[in-house]
Amino acid sequence: MTRAAPTTLRPTTPKEVRDAVLDTPGRLAIAGAGTAADWAGRLDDVDATLDTTGLTGVIAHNPGDMTVSVHAGTPLRDLAGEIGEHRQRLALDAARIPRGATVGGLLATADAGPSALVYGSMRDLVIGTTTVLADGTMVRSGGHVIKNVAGYDMAKLLHGSYGTLGVLVEVVLRLHPVPKATATVAVDGPLTSAAEHTARLVQSPLEPIACEWISGDPGRLLVRLEGGESTLHLRVDRLMELLGDGAHEVDDAVWDEHAALVAGVPGLGDNGLGDNGSRDNGSRDNGSRDNGSRDNGSRDNGTGAGGPAADAAPEGAVLRIGAAPTRLPSLIAELPATAVAAGLGTGVATVTVPGAAVAEAHDAVAAANGTSSLRSRSADLDAPAWGPPPSGLPVLKAIKHKLDPDGRLSPGRFHPWM
Amino acid sequence: MPLDRRIVDEFVGVLGAADVLSDPIKTRTYECDGLTGYRVVPELVLLPRTAEAVAECVKVCARHGVPFVARGAGTGLSGGALPVADGVVIGLNRLNRVLEVDPENRRAVLEPGVTNLEITAAASPFGLYYAPDPSSQQVCTIGGNVAENSGGAHCLKYGFTTNHVLSIEVVLPDGSLVTLGSDSAEQSGPDLRGVFLGSEGTLGITTKITVRLLRTPETMRTLLADFPSVAAGGQVVSDIVSAGIVPAAVEMMDALAIEAAEGATGAGYSLDTPAALVVELDGTAEECDDQFEQVKAICDRHGCTRLHIAGSPEERAAIWRGRKAAFAAVGRISPDYIVQDGVVPRTRLSEVLDKIAEMADDAGLRVANVFHAGDGNLHPLVLYSEADGEVERAEELSSGIAELCVAMGGSLSGEHGIGTDKACSMPTMFGEDDLEAFHRVRTAFDPGDICNPGKLFPTPRLCGERPGKYRPHPLEEQGAIERL
Repeated sequence: MTRAAPTTLRPTTPKEVRDAVLDTPGRLAIAGAGTAADWAGRLDDVDATLDTTGLTGVIAHNPGDMTVSVHAGTPLRDLAGEIGEHRQRLALDAARIPRGATVGGLLATADAGPSALVYGSMRDLVIGTTTVLADGTMVRSGGHVIKNVAGYDMAKLLHGSYGTLGVLVEVVLRLHPVPKATATVAVDGPLTSAAEHTARLVQSPLEPIACEWISGDPGRLLVRLEGGESTLHLRVDRLMELLGDGAHEVDDAVWDEHAALVAGVPGLGDNGLGDNGSRDNGSRDNGSRDNGSRDNGSRDNGTGAGGPAADAAPEGAVLRIGAAPTRLPSLIAELPATAVAAGLGTGVATVTVPGAAVAEAHDAVAAANGTSSLRSRSADLDAPAWGPPPSGLPVLKAIKHKLDPDGRLSPGRFHPWM
Repeated sequence: MPLDRRIVDEFVGVLGAADVLSDPIKTRTYECDGLTGYRVVPELVLLPRTAEAVAECVKVCARHGVPFVARGAGTGLSGGALPVADGVVIGLNRLNRVLEVDPENRRAVLEPGVTNLEITAAASPFGLYYAPDPSSQQVCTIGGNVAENSGGAHCLKYGFTTNHVLSIEVVLPDGSLVTLGSDSAEQSGPDLRGVFLGSEGTLGITTKITVRLLRTPETMRTLLADFPSVAAGGQVVSDIVSAGIVPAAVEMMDALAIEAAEGATGAGYSLDTPAALVVELDGTAEECDDQFEQVKAICDRHGCTRLHIAGSPEERAAIWRGRKAAFAAVGRISPDYIVQDGVVPRTRLSEVLDKIAEMADDAGLRVANVFHAGDGNLHPLVLYSEADGEVERAEELSSGIAELCVAMGGSLSGEHGIGTDKACSMPTMFGEDDLEAFHRVRTAFDPGDICNPGKLFPTPRLCGERPGKYRPHPLEEQGAIERL
């Protein structure tokens, strides 16, 4: 097992990426900002690491079309700053964006945040990619139009591929307007009561953007709304009425606590400011937190820096799990979870479990017809990264063989599947 | 070459004789889809009733190298379901059950032959609906929607089929039955579901689909606005988007399209306007009302000559009836027409429409324009008369428009697919390396090249033929071959 490869290549153009892939014999790791370096299976020994963080910058932002193409190594928080000047955003709020996660990395790891309830994950927001395959072939698919059915959607294939099928060099994204106002309403209570609230909420016409339960004593349901400056408060009132006694509006900073749980480091998000803390990115503003515009992190040799989880290792192992939304609460209750962030509308949760319980957790999720993958864990933990393989595994192996016949790219990420 | 009798017997053994059609009179029904210019009578038509039977049929095909083409309602407009002469068509209309509606998880499980509108019909008692809404939604099937990644008027805000399908059960070209996708938005590994969606039947056959359902919006507000020019209407669209408003739908029609649609439906469109815009907003009452006022103000600012606000569900339905009938209605003003399906970045709409008008003038033909203005998906209808010998000019103009869209940074197809129709234009949009990579993906699924072969990729055979209406092959005219 090698975590630090003997050679690091840092190309700054797509052509240099192709040259690097062609001119470097052997097996290659692909690294971005390093915010998900320990997700999925551990890398096998590699001959070199291809670092994409020199591959940055906006290629074309078309504000009128609400599309942008960027180099894959661009941190999303940097992109958010640029397009935010036009009051546009990528509607993705994955927890690690403030820590410098790159556009390519977010796509390759299939990451998403609470607003996936409405906007989906990267697979719903990406409309084009350019990728360098293991033999140096540069492949383009999609483009700057959101409606497009010409050719195979290669971006989907790269979504969740963890660098095993190709090196993303350019990504074209669909943008959304920055909401004029946002608000978050919280109600304290255990997961079971949060699930009951959610069941009523999703049947209501209130259109929540996010609906997440975070563990604690007793835990808390967070519901985010977006809307117009003069109208949102009316919907906030309706939401508080629906959630009943104890529902109250909270500062957006509460989502930092959520992000900390997703990173597997509970407590980091709670810095004593509480619900009505003095942070200046308050609610009913312009959603700046979600765009990761805080300038509090820089790349730190692949470990990430700034924001929650910057300096703390997760206690145990962090698992990402997904199941039908109504099955999620009972599934979580079965797991020996020490920290939970659960999307009760999406059916996607991030849970921290003791390292020894990872295999058992995979099995429990599979028994609920769900999916699971290992995210962050301590360096010495030897635990399976994936649950039982999907029935489509043979075709996935065939695709890997066609695109990377020598198994050069990111070996080990899908161990033991392939 | 006719299929070996023993192979036919194997299909009969799987399905029973009644579900295997070989009579040329019956199989001829399956000779084309909505693109009637290409016709091939299949050797056999198989009509399985279960996913397992589909898989068994495909296993027979795989064992003997028999090419197969899956087909639903046949409403496709790009020849994606064109049969292969020495192969079989696998018709999926008998797999037409809504297997489950799960209101708590807001999803439905469907067999591929369920029509698009039947999904919403099954979901509506629970206050839910299925968002993607192709114009053919009364007859097109969800299996076909999956194959084509179908869109529709409401996809600007809500996304396309690929954004609403959680998982699919598919029969791969080796006959294995697998599930792609998962019960939640999360899944393990590369998004094979997403690659399969929109692959036009070239990677396998879908036998079960789990879709997301959305809550029926609290409020819907629809307006029909007339403008002195298409450009003014286009500017309204840009301003709406710039104001941070994402309408549920924004559709535009030009004078010719309005003339046809109004003549056919009497929906209340103005006959003397150069352009009409349909804008629909939906959402919570507060947000919808607020945004609606902004949209009205934007329309006024750009010289709107008439603003008709649907005052009742019936009036809203009439506005949409006019828009959705536009294609078929064009038959009233022209003996023949070709529907084109290019996409351009929204901001280039005006430019591309001017250019299309110039190209039409040069060709001496009329073009009616109906388009999804919010997402830049054009549907220029090239009007012509076959009787007057205008076929070739019409085909050239139609292909020229599609390739113009690519030159403007757009796409050959927004929702109808590449199929047989535009396979030869693919090199205008993709380089050799891109096409080669697509081919690698294709062969990973289908190493034997038996699953809907000849579609999507340019092939010498296909590109030696011309799109458009059927015309006899030279050998046919000489009496050397016979067309069934």
